[in-house]
Amino acid sequence: MTERHSRGIRIGLIGFGGLAYLTLIGLPGRLEASAPIVMAVVAAIGVGLALRSDAQRHPPAVVLRQALIAGVIGGTFIAILVGVFAALLGSGVRIQPVLDKITPPNVAAWYGRPTPAVARGQLAAFDFLRPALVVLLGSLAGGAVAVVAHRAVAARSGGARVPAQTRWIVIALPFVLLLAVIVLGQPAVTIGGSNKGTLRLLLAMLAVAAGLFAVRAARLGRERRVISVALLAGLVTLPFLLDQFQNAVMGIVFIFVMMGLGLNIVVGYAGLLDLGYVAFFAIGAYAYAFLSAPFSSPWFSQQLSALGLPADQPLLSFWQSIPIVMILAAVGGILLGTPVLRLRGDYLAIVTLGFGEIIRLFMLNLADLTNGPRGLLNLAPPTLFGYNLGNPRDIFILALLGTAAIAFVAFRLERSRIGRAWVAIREDEDAAQAMGVDLARIKLMAFAIGATFAGMAGQLYAARQVNIFPDNFSLFVSIDALALIIVGGMGSIPGVVLGAITLKGLPEVLRGVDEYRIVLFAALLVVMMIARPEGLLPSERRRLELHGESDATTEQIAEAA
Amino acid sequence: MSQSLVVAPSLQRRAQTTRWIARAIALLICALVIARAVAVSLAESYPLTFWASQLVNGLVLGGVYALVALGYTLVYGILLMINFAHGEVMMVGGVAGFFALQLAQALGWMRGPAGLVAVALLVVMGVGMIGAMLTGVTLERIAYRPLRNAPRLVPLISAIGASLFLQYSVLLVFGVSPLVYQRPALISGGFRVGPVFIPYTGLIIFVTSLALMGALFVIVQRTRLGRAMRAVAADRDTAALMGVDVNQIITFTFLLGSALAGAAGVMLGFHNSVIKFNSGFIPGLKAFTAAVMGGIGNIPGAMVGALVLGIAESIGPSALGIPAEYKDIIAFVLLVLVLIFRPQGLLGEALAEKKV
Repeated sequence: MTERHSRGIRIGLIGFGGLAYLTLIGLPGRLEASAPIVMAVVAAIGVGLALRSDAQRHPPAVVLRQALIAGVIGGTFIAILVGVFAALLGSGVRIQPVLDKITPPNVAAWYGRPTPAVARGQLAAFDFLRPALVVLLGSLAGGAVAVVAHRAVAARSGGARVPAQTRWIVIALPFVLLLAVIVLGQPAVTIGGSNKGTLRLLLAMLAVAAGLFAVRAARLGRERRVISVALLAGLVTLPFLLDQFQNAVMGIVFIFVMMGLGLNIVVGYAGLLDLGYVAFFAIGAYAYAFLSAPFSSPWFSQQLSALGLPADQPLLSFWQSIPIVMILAAVGGILLGTPVLRLRGDYLAIVTLGFGEIIRLFMLNLADLTNGPRGLLNLAPPTLFGYNLGNPRDIFILALLGTAAIAFVAFRLERSRIGRAWVAIREDEDAAQAMGVDLARIKLMAFAIGATFAGMAGQLYAARQVNIFPDNFSLFVSIDALALIIVGGMGSIPGVVLGAITLKGLPEVLRGVDEYRIVLFAALLVVMMIARPEGLLPSERRRLELHGESDATTEQIAEAA
Repeated sequence: MSQSLVVAPSLQRRAQTTRWIARAIALLICALVIARAVAVSLAESYPLTFWASQLVNGLVLGGVYALVALGYTLVYGILLMINFAHGEVMMVGGVAGFFALQLAQALGWMRGPAGLVAVALLVVMGVGMIGAMLTGVTLERIAYRPLRNAPRLVPLISAIGASLFLQYSVLLVFGVSPLVYQRPALISGGFRVGPVFIPYTGLIIFVTSLALMGALFVIVQRTRLGRAMRAVAADRDTAALMGVDVNQIITFTFLLGSALAGAAGVMLGFHNSVIKFNSGFIPGLKAFTAAVMGGIGNIPGAMVGALVLGIAESIGPSALGIPAEYKDIIAFVLLVLVLIFRPQGLLGEALAEKKV
């Protein structure tokens, strides 16, 4: 009996911690009038998840009592916390210099009262009860959902597995979403966009994501080929359906896909955790900048005028630069890869992280070459037959083409002798070496090819941005790239696309939560590693590695015992 | 590299070749560095006192790094994982200490007699340590414990997530502007040993870190819990069979490492006068570098590595005649050189395959 109570108390205290955290980072204030509802839903989800396993073992009354206890505890504490803040604000104490987000609007959001009332301390007794009631009701709802969900699962278990219709729904979904994008409106030149524009962007991204699942759901052979071709046709029409802002978002998403595919080779296939991957992205961007805007680099313009060349126009066009950028990035990959050939796992991660920082420090401090923090300006946009391809739509199309080329190469490499060697060294370096894999050569190939892809992405990024600064190439680009291949599923090409949409695209739709983006990412990384380390759309091999075998053995052990 | 596997002779030769190429490059770097240092010292002659005061700076910095490096080494010794968020644990300790300092100032303790100031400083450090301990233990419980048997990349990624989460939570809760540590008047000055100026804070930091390291040494070598820690580090399964509660020992390890990091965070706050959301990141990396240089998992190694790194960093830029912004590069170049020539670290013994 006491054990059951203590469980409710624990859930309540942990839930209070979570809600207090959300309060401290100012989420209720951001939600304004809908804050109480959202906080109730958060409480419900938390309690529901916490009581999920209890619902299987205990009768509903016990589960609901735990939810009640959790709600009372969590609600009381949160009411006290918010009440203290309100009282302090009401009596004129300035909390904001210490706790940045505790402002009258943020506290008022909990009470559903106008801000001035909180600032003046005009709160009735009932107002203090409201946060507690919100949390209590949310917790009870969570407990009820846990009970009902358990009943529903119990009733359905033993039934048929995935019905055939589901497969067809999954396959049809991307086309339906694409249709919705078309129906929702004509492409208009709007920047920022209305609610309808945001909805279209969201639908477009969901359509791409659904397409990935549709291909996977299709049967191997002709069915999959037909569906892939139809989906590709749909994807190609997308740039012409979206407006400028939507295209710009999709462009950056697919530039990150290009980069993610490169990192996927290094981390996903070869298992070399590279945290300084932004270095190659930066090499690509700066190489293109030097080739297309030598006039903005003091040293280059000096050299050019010494050679008697005109120093006010690009040395090479976008297309001519591509091979040079690729070669430079590959050389960069080999140069940075050679010293770390013998390092494994964690050491490799830290050293490559250091390399990324070193490259950024060089960009910042080699002012003669890179113009330091003032950056390189006025890069040439890509052109084709005199037609300027620098607008967001054409950049999106170029990113799609780049992604297609890189994905094709990556797909073929994965199934080649080299690809198998990568997987072999990922699984066991010593065993791979004993089987005749030349570690140094294979690792360097992974670094070089991954770097080449990142360099191409960097070039396109530079052409898109027109002006580039060292701050564009911070550690967070590496972390973003790593996060997207992890969320998508390491070693899985469709996973990279899904990861980029989830991590680079969705935050653009959820405007206004930008400052919470990194915290959200970070929490997502931890939760992903605990709940689904293989990613959302894993490669089959990886999934089996992380789940299949161990599940089987635990079942066997359970049977044996 | 394990010796038990038979590797084709041609591949072995090639592996040897790459190893020698790497060593040759490293030697070349060393030669260049030495040549540059000689050239600079011939061209510009700094007075000896300049070097002496740089050395003092290096020792102070090394003391702080050592406290953080010990946390990396302790956790690595037991779990064989890098607690990537350890630098952030230190930062949280610094933030917690800041609030204790604010309180002490509001109560007027900082303007009181010397004894009261000393007590207040101890309280500030204690609060910093407790804040860091809570963070460290929570971190272990949420982000690492569920992943104890997962493949090695998984906890590392979780650690990266935790590190970012802590940094940006502090940013969101406390805002962008740095929290300013005000030194009490009593310790804001310094004294001279001959021509060399030594600030009081520097002396306090160095002495405190030595004392804390001594305390750690006693805990690890002389107590029951310390013996259990060493047992778990040597062989977790066997230790469990001998009746050691492995979970408890891991929690205790995080507690110890975080306490040291919290103290380091407070000291870094006093040293730099400010602490903010990303104050822990670069020092954390440096401390990790120090731990690897000394031989990860090796407690005296972490101290030696940290002192070497601190001195190299404070003397390096002037000795090589490069701008001070490049001092971060020195740490990473040192790390790579050590890993190429002596992967086991300065004081480390050859590690078994599973640890490399």
